[in-house]
Amino acid sequence: MEVSLMVGKELRLSRILDPEDGRAVVVAADHGFMLGPIPGADRLADTLRRVIAGKPDAVLLSPGQAINMHDLFLGRDKPAILIRVDWTSAFRDRTYPLPARTVAFSLSCTPRKAVKLGAQGIVSYFFVGYEDEEFEAMQYEMLARLSRECDEIGLPFVVEPVPMGPRVTKANRTDLIVMSVRMATEIGADMLKVPYTGDPESFKRVVDTAYGTPVLILGGYRALTMKDMLEVIEEALEVGARGVVFGRNVIQSPDPARTLEAIRAIVHEGKSVRDVVLGGIKGRMRLVVDNSKCTGCGICEMICSFMHEGFVDAGLARLRVEGSWPGPFSIKVCIQCTKCVNACPTGALERDEKLGYIKVDSSKCTLCGECVEVCPNQVIILNKAKPHVLICDLCGGLPECVYWCPRDAIRVMEVRAG
Amino acid sequence: MSEVMGDRGYMGKILHVELPSMRVHTEALTEDIAYHFLGGKGLGAYLLFKMLKPKTPPLSPDNVLIFATGPLTGTIAPTGNRFCVVTKSPATGTFDDSHCGGPFGIALKRAGYDALVIRGAADELSILVIDEDHVDLASAKDLAGMFTYDAEREIKSRLGRDFEVAVIGPAGERMAPIAGIFSALRAAGRGGTGAVMGSKKLKAVAVRGHKPIKVYDPKRFRRFAWIAHRMVRMHESTARHLPRYGSANILETINEMGALPTRNYRSGVFERAEEVAGERWRETLWIRDVACKGCPIACSKVAYVKEGPFKGTIVDGPDYETIWALGPQCGISSREAIARANQLCDLYGIDTISTGNIIAFIMECYERGILTEDELDGLRPMWGDGEVMVKLVEKIGKGEGIGGLLQQGVRRIAEYLIKAKGAEECLFFAMHVKGLELPAYEPRAAQGMGLGYATSDRGACHLRGWTAGQELLGYGGAVDPLTTKGKAQLVIDRQNEKAVVDSVGICFYAFQAFTLKEIRNMLVSCTGLSYRNNRELYVTGERIYNLTRLFNVREGFTAKDDSLPERLLKEPAPEGPAKGHVVRLEEMLKEYYALRGWDENGIPTKEKLEELGLSKFLDISMIVH
Repeated sequence: MEVSLMVGKELRLSRILDPEDGRAVVVAADHGFMLGPIPGADRLADTLRRVIAGKPDAVLLSPGQAINMHDLFLGRDKPAILIRVDWTSAFRDRTYPLPARTVAFSLSCTPRKAVKLGAQGIVSYFFVGYEDEEFEAMQYEMLARLSRECDEIGLPFVVEPVPMGPRVTKANRTDLIVMSVRMATEIGADMLKVPYTGDPESFKRVVDTAYGTPVLILGGYRALTMKDMLEVIEEALEVGARGVVFGRNVIQSPDPARTLEAIRAIVHEGKSVRDVVLGGIKGRMRLVVDNSKCTGCGICEMICSFMHEGFVDAGLARLRVEGSWPGPFSIKVCIQCTKCVNACPTGALERDEKLGYIKVDSSKCTLCGECVEVCPNQVIILNKAKPHVLICDLCGGLPECVYWCPRDAIRVMEVRAG
Repeated sequence: MSEVMGDRGYMGKILHVELPSMRVHTEALTEDIAYHFLGGKGLGAYLLFKMLKPKTPPLSPDNVLIFATGPLTGTIAPTGNRFCVVTKSPATGTFDDSHCGGPFGIALKRAGYDALVIRGAADELSILVIDEDHVDLASAKDLAGMFTYDAEREIKSRLGRDFEVAVIGPAGERMAPIAGIFSALRAAGRGGTGAVMGSKKLKAVAVRGHKPIKVYDPKRFRRFAWIAHRMVRMHESTARHLPRYGSANILETINEMGALPTRNYRSGVFERAEEVAGERWRETLWIRDVACKGCPIACSKVAYVKEGPFKGTIVDGPDYETIWALGPQCGISSREAIARANQLCDLYGIDTISTGNIIAFIMECYERGILTEDELDGLRPMWGDGEVMVKLVEKIGKGEGIGGLLQQGVRRIAEYLIKAKGAEECLFFAMHVKGLELPAYEPRAAQGMGLGYATSDRGACHLRGWTAGQELLGYGGAVDPLTTKGKAQLVIDRQNEKAVVDSVGICFYAFQAFTLKEIRNMLVSCTGLSYRNNRELYVTGERIYNLTRLFNVREGFTAKDDSLPERLLKEPAPEGPAKGHVVRLEEMLKEYYALRGWDENGIPTKEKLEELGLSKFLDISMIVH
């Protein structure tokens, strides 16, 4: 009896892409055999335990890891296994011993062996843009072979296009990704692992080119802050990406389970970055700072004034960075002590019931300056050109300073009413 | 008449100050000029070309000193804080643009000006005070000889803390061609900008303003600025290496590639590189990350020496170039000595790259017996001796004893040695191009860098055609460093792109993370300028680079000046991955001129200039036929 080849693929894919929403959170932990013991991959069993606690849909492993650490995956509620079937020197950049001079490449595992190891799918690179077109052809031939073999045994085939080589420039990178995505789908990829192209417009081109083949975005180097990473995911999902394959952003995180929880919230639970950054704060909140992280860049002051006034003027910002070279710096924000409310002779100031910030009633403010006098952090702005004093309004719920601070030195915390 | 650019990225005005008369006038910045030259380097080049009479001596009152900002300066664009100093360089006699971060450029714009143009010279050492519409000259006689930082602090305490100040140190007052202009611990260091300011008898320019820097479409601008910020915050270099290890993060890799010039460029391999790499600095002397305004990277570090002979040294940095120049280039691996020398350079107001090169050159002269202990004030400058290096920096800073000669830069020292002692041999290892000392990438191990040094518009500069990213570090597509194939186009692309970056008012480091597309998106939403595609922006970069070339051609520079020190052309690299290689400049240069649309003498053709629209703005008939 002839069995449809697609049955196996479909079942296995459903172990990766959640059938409920068609999306996946995959963690890549296959760096070790290409990059050596990078942080997070050096004590991988420990890291993997913490990763699995965060409930990813699948984990990408090298063949050796799949053998050595299979016990971590025993059980019904454990993530699916994807196996990397190739090996390359290409990513061994200058921070590693013997940085790669050219892209060397070989297969490390066959699809059949991957199935033996319990894989629900395999992953292979696809390099484009290398000077040697023979190399590209060789790669494409190999992809064709893997695709054929996967079809024979009903194993999902994930292709990861990588623009790399001397002919890749900043300017043509997106075009090369689009082209290679097309080439990969044409040869039978069941899923794609693709770098984010930077903005939603260009990434929509990638997703459209894939023509229904699920596209997962990869993380690459660890971002400066978690919210940058989450925002990229949110944006990619909006234009049709089906999830993520994140490595270093997860395994190098101080708390992989928490990071995964945040990623899952975006991918599977439909939460916004804003929800996640606010950490579920519903009611009153205020800003809290960690001065040890501040570099004095003043981006908080700049974006505060820009969002409220339409131009940059630190003097009109509702928070302030104090200190000068060589530091340290300290960030002064409104702590909602309400001393100003009590001091105001005209009753122009009151606490906003919902968010907790200090509201200014423009019609009552006489610019007398009593509030400025009592403000312990000196963050009430009295400017003669303005009709009333300026006080932090938490940007109506998602403070821009929290969003833009590149070092996470400003966060929000919940304030219990009363 | 094209519309004036005001209230949209630009302030719409250029302030002209004539010394000593203090005749002041403003010139409108029109949309036409803004479109074609952007700001910063481009605007400065346009103004300098237009205003400066050919062959004007750089240190004469007739030279023009320009402080120019870009349309993104003072906005929420990542690293939108840059200004540049444009003038005719006393070190090279060429065009010079030297760039600087910090709050000064923002203050200049908030005072209402996109650029400040100074001509003539004051009668005595003075401070030019710009308080929006009030432009004054204040005496600085009592500040003579004062260190840069002290002078800056003193001026701020006199005028008000909301003034931002650009100053020169004692070396600038003496018009040493290695002197820079300093502001808020940053420097427009290269090419002798400080000497030009000294020749105008200006100790400082102090600026204050409260005008808003408005943008054309705030909503779109916020979005595009955020996308650029986020790319910076997620890129390998700008999110991972630079924030932790500063620009010195690359030092060990550069060394492994055989491209870390060592002992006056004798070798590209320094045996103790790990001692001075960013990682070691972070473990030992660095105590804090500090950022320029609006910069998410914070590549800058504070170094503090807690013990030893240089105890108490506190300095902003050192950065990669400085570590190299005062370190491996002199065979030195003492971090404490490098930090101290960096501090001295900053205080006296001199360029660290040139200073390190001068000392390395002296070390080689001493080793070869061209200079003796007696002639060097009793000092014995041996490779690797940090204490002697620091003493020499101090002498150069003060211009005392042998320092009087050394402060003139490698080219003039070599000329002197040939004239006074017939030491013709020192030409071979005098490491400069057109009079500007070489930076920290060994071009025998990165051929593109060699072509970049030779064709840079201000002499040997790594920041005109920075091909090292691709040749040595693998950023934005790795290329083989040892081949010359394709290097001409690579250098041209980097030079043109960099001219755009240097003109819009952002930092080159941020640009590692994004492309001309992100710049265009920010530029258009900030200014409303009609850039329809990235190509147009690239062409503007090309226009600016051709303009600076044209300036140099007008000053008499031709293909014969686009060369490299003989050592790099004749002496094969002795070790490392580039062993046996010299710079094959000739073959690259020919291709470079052809691709540039320049004739074999290196002069832009009339067709090229017309294609770029330059003939429309400037009288080029005298130069190009």
